[in-house]
Amino acid sequence: MLMIRQAWRNIFRNIRRTVLTCTLIASSLIVIILVDTLINSMTGLMVKGITETIEGEAQIYHSGFRDQYDPELYISDPKSIISKLDSDDEIKTYASRVIVPSMIGSSYNSDGVVLYGVDAEKESNTSRLQSAIIEGDYLSGSDRELLLGRLIAEKLEVGIGDRIVITSSEINTNQMIQELFRVSGIVQFGPKELDEGFAFINLSTAQRIFNIGEGVHQIAIRFNNPELANSPDLDIYKTLPSDTLEVKGWLALQPGLGAMLEMTGLSTLIMGTILFILASLGVVNSIFMSIYERTYELAVSKAIGTRPSGIASLVLLEGLFLALISCFFGIIITFILGIFLQESGLSLGVMEFSGVAFPDNIPVKLTLDQYVNFPFYVVLLTLVAAIYPAIFAARIVPAQAVQKAL
Amino acid sequence: MSMVIEIENLTRKYGKGIGEVVAINEISLNIEYGEFTAIIGPSGSGKSTLLNLIGGLDKSDSGSVLLAGRDIAKMSGSQMSDFRRDRIGFIFQAYNLIPVLSAEENIEYIMLLQGIPSVKRKERVQEMLFLVGLEGLGHRRPSELSGGQQQRVAVARAMASKPEIILADEPTANLDSKTGMALLDMMRQLNEDQGVTFVFSTHDEMIMKRARRLIHLRDGLVALDERNSNATP
Repeated sequence: MLMIRQAWRNIFRNIRRTVLTCTLIASSLIVIILVDTLINSMTGLMVKGITETIEGEAQIYHSGFRDQYDPELYISDPKSIISKLDSDDEIKTYASRVIVPSMIGSSYNSDGVVLYGVDAEKESNTSRLQSAIIEGDYLSGSDRELLLGRLIAEKLEVGIGDRIVITSSEINTNQMIQELFRVSGIVQFGPKELDEGFAFINLSTAQRIFNIGEGVHQIAIRFNNPELANSPDLDIYKTLPSDTLEVKGWLALQPGLGAMLEMTGLSTLIMGTILFILASLGVVNSIFMSIYERTYELAVSKAIGTRPSGIASLVLLEGLFLALISCFFGIIITFILGIFLQESGLSLGVMEFSGVAFPDNIPVKLTLDQYVNFPFYVVLLTLVAAIYPAIFAARIVPAQAVQKAL
Repeated sequence: MSMVIEIENLTRKYGKGIGEVVAINEISLNIEYGEFTAIIGPSGSGKSTLLNLIGGLDKSDSGSVLLAGRDIAKMSGSQMSDFRRDRIGFIFQAYNLIPVLSAEENIEYIMLLQGIPSVKRKERVQEMLFLVGLEGLGHRRPSELSGGQQQRVAVARAMASKPEIILADEPTANLDSKTGMALLDMMRQLNEDQGVTFVFSTHDEMIMKRARRLIHLRDGLVALDERNSNATP
């Protein structure tokens, strides 16, 4: 107890130095928590952006379909799959789609698009299609209505009610087909490739014009617990796959995103390590200064019978107190900043990254584990940093130290 | 009487080659239990070095020091720490005390190292403060005490562990003569009442007169070892 009191009082012998050291450690803690929060928010947005915009959290499709988006690789009888999906408690919603690359033309221009045939009702629960409408109306089930991305609409110079011709080929016979539609709505997802390359019609219309009966190319799925989306233990991953079907979660569908998430984790680790190493050097410097100032005192302590381990423990205790004080203030400041940022979000301007559009205001959410894990690492690393000065102090030779000090 | 300190052919050199200095040169001497001995001599004569060697704070180049019959050269670092803690009290010139601890805590510190229970520690702290005439000042930090009071606390701390030997390296060097004399009187009183062996270094003539044995050092050698039968009472 006396040693604890001694260590506690020692760190306040030079208040300015203690304040500076604690500021350094606390700043590192604040920065790493906020950066981690920002990265978590951005990756969360990115994952949500990809899974909620159009991809879904998992997909069922004919084997090989996603390799080249070959329209001939469709699921001809999706009824049995759909009945399994309906009975699976883990699945929140799903949407069947027909996906065919097509030419789209107006009176003024033409271009290539990916034409989606979607079930209007189920699609509105599975993707952001309905909420992405910026002009006109969502699909009502009518045979000739079509939703168009904002950028392709601008290119084709069409608006609501204008006529559009879709040119493609029947899937089984490869016979050329041309169908007339009217633009019923303009959608804007954000990412350029979606807004300039996608058009949506009703599922039944698509099945009819491409002559595939009740066939679909893809069933996009969302789960009750999105965090389980990539779990191989889910029933759909175990029971559905066959020679002709593939079922994949979003990580498998977007391997690039998975690699990027790993990279962001790694970059946080690297940045945190660099920050903590810098802070640790500050701690080492501060403790060494303190030891040099107290060489005589430590020598006397040793002379009267304090064991080297006792001296080392005293220095480590001082390091521990520095870390605890720093974490205390660091957590309070982060908490206050967290409340502010959770209310206002973090404004980094509108940007698009890896096909995902980030909003102007990135929502920030700090979690309990950030308030526990990072301070724990700070305390641990500060103690590690204090080991070297502690060993140095423990090795002070009383006679030499007393002579030098005098 | 049996010997508490037995020194034989003790040598301590500093530096190497042409810069070598022999601080202690093959000194042999014995000190009995309960003696009140002053090691005297001019600056650089080897007083502090000899005390450091006796206390195990420094290592000799040759020769041996036996404290209470134990050869300190054969002790490990931790054994030496424990031996100092339990059997030797130290008083240095100045800055003896841990500044962040109060006088009471400074005295308690060494007993804490000895593992003495809290209640006994507190009792003995008050006893020691009374013994050195500082009752009521125990809560003060060293910076709130005068130089003389600080040295009294240092004596109290040295006595608290009930050592057999107290080594004091110029304990009065930073005190005015009146305070220095008072401190010496107190040390001699403790020597007489408690039977603790005191070995202290000094070059103050007034202080020397209080010692019952005077060991004169010159250039690392014992120039004279005399009993001071005229020691000032």
